[in-house]
Amino acid sequence: MSGSAEFATSAAASWSVRAFLGRYGVALALPALLALGGLLSPSFVSAGNLSNLLLQFAPLAIVAIGQSFVMIVRGLDLSVASMMATAAVIATSFSGADHDVAGILAVTALVALAVGSLNGVLVTKRRVSPFLATLVTMILLQGLRFAYTQGAPSGNVPPALRVLGSARLGGIPYNSLVLLGVAVVLGIVLHRSAFGRRIFIVGGNPLTARLFGIRVDLITIACYVISSALAALAGLILSGYVGLVDNWVGQGYELDSIVACVVGRVSLSGGRGSILGALTGAAVIVVIANEVLLLGVPIQAQMIIKGVVIVAAAALYSRRETSSG
Amino acid sequence: MLTLKGISKSFPGVRALAGVNFDVRPGEIHGLLGENGAGKSTLIKIIAGALAPDEGEMTFADAPARWASPREAKLAGVHVVYQEFALFPQLSVAENVFLGNERRNRIGLVDHKRTRKEAGELLARLGVSLDVSAMVGSLSVADQQMVEIARALTHNVRLLILDEPTAVIAGREVALLFDRLRRLREEGVSVLFISHRLDEVFALCDRVTILKDGRLVGTHETRDVTRASLISMMVGRDLGELFPPRPKAVRARQTALRTEQIAIGERVRDVSIELCAGEIVALAGMVGSGRSDLALGLFGALPLASGAIDIGGERFTAMSPAQAIRLGVGLVTEDRKSQGLALLLDIAANITGPALAEVTRHGLVNREIEAAIATREIERYRIACRGPATPVATMSGGNQQKVIVARWARICRTVLILDEPTRGIDVGAKAEIYRIMRELAAAGVAILMITSEMTEVIGMADRVIIMREGRITGELLGHEATEEGIMHLATSGRAA
Amino acid sequence: MIAAIASRAATPLWLRHNAGVAGVIVLIGVVSVTGASVSDRFLTLANLLNVCEQTTDLALVSIGQTLTILAGGIDLSVGSLISLASCLTSGLINGNPDRVVPVATAVLLLGSFVGLLNAGLVVALRVHPLIVTLGMGAILQGVTLLYALGPVGRVPRGFSFLAYGRIADVPVGATLAVVLCGLVALLLRYLPLGRQVYALGDDANSARLVGLRRGRILMLVYGCSGFCCAATGLYLAARFGVGQPYTGVNYTLASITPVVLGGTLLSGGRGGVVGTLCGAFLISLLNNLLNFMDVSKHYQLVAQALIIILAVSIYVERRGME
Repeated sequence: MSGSAEFATSAAASWSVRAFLGRYGVALALPALLALGGLLSPSFVSAGNLSNLLLQFAPLAIVAIGQSFVMIVRGLDLSVASMMATAAVIATSFSGADHDVAGILAVTALVALAVGSLNGVLVTKRRVSPFLATLVTMILLQGLRFAYTQGAPSGNVPPALRVLGSARLGGIPYNSLVLLGVAVVLGIVLHRSAFGRRIFIVGGNPLTARLFGIRVDLITIACYVISSALAALAGLILSGYVGLVDNWVGQGYELDSIVACVVGRVSLSGGRGSILGALTGAAVIVVIANEVLLLGVPIQAQMIIKGVVIVAAAALYSRRETSSG
Repeated sequence: MLTLKGISKSFPGVRALAGVNFDVRPGEIHGLLGENGAGKSTLIKIIAGALAPDEGEMTFADAPARWASPREAKLAGVHVVYQEFALFPQLSVAENVFLGNERRNRIGLVDHKRTRKEAGELLARLGVSLDVSAMVGSLSVADQQMVEIARALTHNVRLLILDEPTAVIAGREVALLFDRLRRLREEGVSVLFISHRLDEVFALCDRVTILKDGRLVGTHETRDVTRASLISMMVGRDLGELFPPRPKAVRARQTALRTEQIAIGERVRDVSIELCAGEIVALAGMVGSGRSDLALGLFGALPLASGAIDIGGERFTAMSPAQAIRLGVGLVTEDRKSQGLALLLDIAANITGPALAEVTRHGLVNREIEAAIATREIERYRIACRGPATPVATMSGGNQQKVIVARWARICRTVLILDEPTRGIDVGAKAEIYRIMRELAAAGVAILMITSEMTEVIGMADRVIIMREGRITGELLGHEATEEGIMHLATSGRAA
Repeated sequence: MIAAIASRAATPLWLRHNAGVAGVIVLIGVVSVTGASVSDRFLTLANLLNVCEQTTDLALVSIGQTLTILAGGIDLSVGSLISLASCLTSGLINGNPDRVVPVATAVLLLGSFVGLLNAGLVVALRVHPLIVTLGMGAILQGVTLLYALGPVGRVPRGFSFLAYGRIADVPVGATLAVVLCGLVALLLRYLPLGRQVYALGDDANSARLVGLRRGRILMLVYGCSGFCCAATGLYLAARFGVGQPYTGVNYTLASITPVVLGGTLLSGGRGGVVGTLCGAFLISLLNNLLNFMDVSKHYQLVAQALIIILAVSIYVERRGME
C-alpha cells in the first residue's frame, strides 16, 4: 500500500444527514416536489397540467440523456443547444409539407453525425478540452446557421412534426412516447450492453480501458455523436412544438441539461451516472419550473430558485475529495 | 528527539495501532519495517500531524506534541516526504522548494532572485546540482525526490520522514540518496526511513523498528539482527519458502515471442530478445532503462519506431492491445490504480475486462456468466472479498493485484508480461503471485517479469536479461545470476 | 504519477513558459499581414487604436476569467454579474454627476464581494466551481431582474468619457484595461498568494499536501474576477449610456476564448493575463479584418470558431490524464 497522504476516510457510508440526502435525495425529491405542487395549487394535478409537464419534460430529458453519455466519458457537450436550433432550422428549410419529413430526418441525421464526430475528434485526436471543443462547435454551428438564414429564418414546419411536437395520444404527448422509447433503448445500451460497459470503463479509467483492448477514441466519439443525435431529435420535437422557425430554439438547454445530469448524480469527473438519474434530474428541473410558474412567482425568483437548486444538489452529492480551484 | 508512548489508533472496524512505544534519537537514521497493514502509514500520519491518536503520548524535542494539523508539525520541524511527491510539474525547481514558504523582500513581495539563490544553496547542501529554473516536470524521479527533500530543509527540519523513497529509484540513485541522508545525519537531523527492502535497511539505518499487526515487535540496532530474524519478526513465520521451486528438467522449449531490433519512442533503442514457452525470464535494469516502455511496446500500447515482433510465428511491425490480447499476450502494469484497474467497477468487471466478448450475448453482458467466472477466480487465488460484486476500490493492494493477475492468467496463452508485480504488496500476497507465475509457466506460458528487486530475480528467474539505456547489455542463466553480476551489467555493461 | 509527466527538454525554458503568448502573437501577425494585403487602411494607427477601443469590454472581463482558470476553476457567473453591475451603475447614478464616484466604488466593491462569495461556496460546499458559478449566475440574473426589468436610469454625459474618451488619441478605456492587466500580472508574479494560484491550478492534490490555503487562493482569484466583471459593467454603462439587465449574457462564454487563445491552459497552472489581453485583441482584430473584407456579420462567428480551432491545433492542451 503506498504511503498516501490522504486523510483517513472510512469506506463505509456515514449516516450523517448529508450522506443520506446525497444517496436518496433525488429519488425522494421528485415525489416530494409533486406532492408539494398538489398542495400549492389544485390545478397542478389536473390532467391538463400534468400533460403540459410531460410536453416540457420530454425535450430536456432527451438532451439530458445525451449529455449524460458525454459526461460519463469525462466530457461535456456545450453544443447541444446550437444543434437543437440547427435541427429546427433544417426542419423549416424544406417545403413544409409532410413528404419532406424523410428528407428532413436524413439531413438532420447527417449534420448530427458530422457535429458529434467533430466534437469527438477534437477531444480525442487533438486533445482539446471538451469545454472548449464543444464551445467552438457551438459557435461554428451558430455562425453557419446565421449565414444560411441571413439572420431571418423563414419557412414552415411540416404538420407531421407539429403532431410530434405538440399533439397527444390519449392524453400522453407523442414526444413523451418518443422519450420513453429513447430512454428504454439507451438505458439498455448504457447499463446492459458491452458497449455501455466499455463506456463506463473509458470514463472511469481511460488508461486501463486502453490496455483492455478497448478503442477509447471510438467510444468517446460515439458518445458525442449520441449526444448530438439526441439534441437534434429534441430540436425537431421543439420545432414542432413552437410551430414557427426560430434561430434560438433550445436556448439554455446546454446548461440546463448539464444541471439535470448533475442533479441526477451523473458525475462531472466521469465514470459514474445513469439514464434514470438524467431523467430524474430533468424532471426535478421541469417540475420546479412549473410549480414556480403556477405560483405566479415572477421570473426573477424562478432564476434564483434554479440557481439555488443547482448548488444545493451538487453540494449534497459532493464526495470527500476536493476538486481544484 | 521523538518519543511515542502507548500510541493507539482505531478506525471503524479496524485497530490500526495498539500501544506502540517507539523513539527516534537525534542524529540517527531509524528504519521502520513492517508488512502492509502493519500500521506504518497510520503511525507516520500521527507523527506528522495528519491524524490524532486515540490514546498515548508523543513528545518531540523534549516538548509534548499534540499536533492539530500537519502545518503545526512542520513548524516544529517534522517533515514527511510521501511516496507520491507533492510537486508542481509546471513550476520551477526553486518555486517548488519554497512554495508556501516563499522568500520575500522587505515589503512582503516575492523575491525571485533570493528564491533561486537559496534553492541552489539547499540543493548544494545535499550534494545535488540542478538548474533551479528548470520545470520540475522535466526532471528525473530521483531529482524530483531531491527537490522534495530540499523543500523539507527549508523548514529547518529536525525529523525527516521518508516513506518508501526507494520504491521509485534504484542502484546508483539509491546510493546517492543514502549519501545525502548521511550528510543530514552529520548535521544532527534525524531520519525515519520506511522501506520494504531489508538490504537498504541494513545499509543505511542505525536502528530498526518492526511493526506487526499494529503492535511493536521490537526495536534493535541493525548490527544486532540478521535478515532471517527480521523477516520472521515482520511476518511471524519462517518464510524460507517464499519462492516456489524451480523445475529440474529443462527440455527444449518453443519460442513464444521474439523481437528483432525493436525501437520504441526515446527509451528503447535496439532490443532483440527471445521468450520461450514455460520459461520465467526476469528483465532487470535501472529505472529509466526502458523496461516499462518495452513492456508497453510488446503489448501494443506504444508504437514501434522500428523493428518487428514475432509472436507464435507471425511477424508484426505494428501492434495494438486488442491484437496482443487476441494473440494471447497479457500485461500486468506497474501502476495498479490508473492503468491496471477499472477503479469504479467491481471484481467481476475487472476480471472479464479484456475478455468482455466472452460474456457478451447478443450485444448484452450476461452478468450471471460473468459472476460465475469471477467466483471461480476468487476461489482459485484466495482473493479476500465479499464476492464478485465487491468494488475493487475497497480492496487492499495485494488483493487488487491478485485480481489483475487473475484477469490475465485466465486468457493468456502465449506470453504474460508483469511489470514490478509485487511492488507495494504484503509478503503473503507476494508468495501467492510467485506461485501463480510458476503454475502458468508450467502450463506453457512464457513469463517476462520486470523487477528491481534482486531477491525476486534470483529466486524466480530461469533466465535474466539485463537492460541499460534502451539496449540489452547481457543475459545470464538463472543459476549463474548473482546480484553483483546483474548490477554490473545494469550500470556499466556493454551491449551484448 | 509525477514521474510520468515528460517534457521536451530540448526547447529553451523561456519558450516553453511563454509558448501560448508566442502563439497568439504569431496569429496576430498573420491577421495583420492579411489585413494589410486587403486594405492599406488596415494597419494605420487610427484603425488599430479603434480596434483597441473595441477590445476593452472583452479584455476587462477576460482578465478576471484568466485568474479563475489559472487556479484550475472557472467563473460562469460573469455575464450576470456584468448585467447587475451595469444596471446598478446607471440606476443609482441616475444622471447625477455627484454620485458617480461613490456608486462606481460601491459597484466595484460589490463585484469583489460576489466573487468572494463564489469562492466561499466552492470551499464550504465542496462543489466544483463550474456548478457553483453556474448557480450563482442564475441567482444574480434573478437579482438583476428584481432591480430592473429593462433599461434603467442613465449616466451623466461626462461618464461616457470612460468609453469614448481619448487622451492624445489613445482610448481611455483601453488604457485602463492595459493598466488593470499590468496590475494583475504583477500581482501574480510578486504576491506569494499569486504564485500559489499557479500551484493550485497545476496540481490541487499537491497543493493540499503542501498545506496551501485553498480558500485564500480562491478568494483572490474569484474576488478579482468579480472586480473585473464590475469594471466591465461600469464600462458598458458608460458605453451605452444606460444599464440593461441582459447586457452581460454573451460575455460568459465569450470571456473564455481570449484566455485560451492567449495560451492559458484550461486545466490551469500555466499561462497569464498578458496572453489573454493579446487574445482579446486578436479577436477584435479579426472582426475588424472581416469588416474590411466586407464579410457578412454572420460569417464572423464562423471565422472566430475557425481561428480557435487553428489556435488549439497549434498549442495542444495538457489534459487531466496525460
